[in-house]
Amino acid sequence: MILQINFKSGMPIYLQIVDQVRAAAASGALRPGEALPSIRPLAEELRVNRNTIAKAYTELESQGVIETLPGRGCFLKENQSALRKKVRRDLLIEHIDQVIVQAHHLLVPHDEFLELIRERLDVLDDKRRAHEDHKED
Amino acid sequence: MNSPTPVIQIENLTYAYGRTEAVHDLSLAVQPGRCYGLFGRNGAGKTTTIKCLLNLLRPQSGQVRVFGLDPARHEVEVKRLLSSVPDQVAFYPWMSVRETLDYLASFRAHWNRQTQQELLERFQLDPAQRTGNLSKGQRTQVALVAAVCPETDLLVLDEPTSGLDPIVRREFIEAVIGAYQQGVPGKRTILVSTHLIAEFEGLIDEFTLIDHGRSVLTLDADQARERYQKIRARFAQAPPEINLEAALRVRRDGRELELIANGSGPELMERLRQHNPEALTTEALTLEEIFVATLKGG
Repeated sequence: MILQINFKSGMPIYLQIVDQVRAAAASGALRPGEALPSIRPLAEELRVNRNTIAKAYTELESQGVIETLPGRGCFLKENQSALRKKVRRDLLIEHIDQVIVQAHHLLVPHDEFLELIRERLDVLDDKRRAHEDHKED
Repeated sequence: MNSPTPVIQIENLTYAYGRTEAVHDLSLAVQPGRCYGLFGRNGAGKTTTIKCLLNLLRPQSGQVRVFGLDPARHEVEVKRLLSSVPDQVAFYPWMSVRETLDYLASFRAHWNRQTQQELLERFQLDPAQRTGNLSKGQRTQVALVAAVCPETDLLVLDEPTSGLDPIVRREFIEAVIGAYQQGVPGKRTILVSTHLIAEFEGLIDEFTLIDHGRSVLTLDADQARERYQKIRARFAQAPPEINLEAALRVRRDGRELELIANGSGPELMERLRQHNPEALTTEALTLEEIFVATLKGG
């Protein structure tokens, strides 16, 4: 799991870490039972205040995403399926909203926008199928 | 709520060198466990302020308190509770690195030898090397080792990384986080003065921006990045007349507008949106950009 801090997002640093760990859990980049990086090396690597990382981990623990095993570190909790679904939706919604705003600025009407989405889904589906056929050859 | 005694409390501090006022009516408070940035350009009064905390200068008016104590009246006690890396590091040049650290440790009630060993290895410093033969970066590294090993509750860094190469700067900050902050969490307090803000950005909890000896802005770092925004809008034609008084700064370039907002971002976005821009984007300002926007704006 690779974490990255963006000082230009306007989001508090500890919340960026919380979101990224949740996203990693949702995407499978971090699996149940797998260890999170220890606070000290992670703080050093990101060059972020140690207390900020500790705050993020405390928040993740109170959300039930991770658990701390004394003397062993922090681990992703089992049974994250509900979280996964919600996080996936939230992540996607964020991107979709951006595209919708963009479409609005570009004066693309709703029906044309939805049509475009369907078109792109088809294009990418075709690409994926072609790629799979290619692999089977 | 009963708040704890601030680790550092500066109230209406004024200090002048002859007729030149270096610090004017400066006030700030650093709470325990926080990393506090004192930002300003060269000559803004950062070092003078720090010298008053370390009892190297006596405030001419106002007062400073460190752990609630007056550094002038309780010099020994205050020195026991803090360690510092000065902007100009000087050691006895004939002493080796090890002798220098032993000498400095002899003034301290407590000294973590294991941390000393770890940091010397991390910085690849040869304990037998004479300090007179060290580079500027290596001298700063020795000074940091000497400041971290006593494991004091307050670490004062005065322009610690200016004049150092990027790798030494990076290692310096990593060591401050790893070796110093690792101690009793929530008790290790840091005051860092710097104009190299970007590299300390992730470390800073709160900051005061000073200019010409005066406090210009004090904010929590997360709040600052939330409040200060850069907004860009592009219109189909030349931008219409829009009331943008709420912006800190407005720049026009053809069909584009770029605004710096301080807390008024949502309001300005709404105003721009009413004129149907082709594109409208916003991003937070980094602490360094806030520094520049604030000091250039006047």
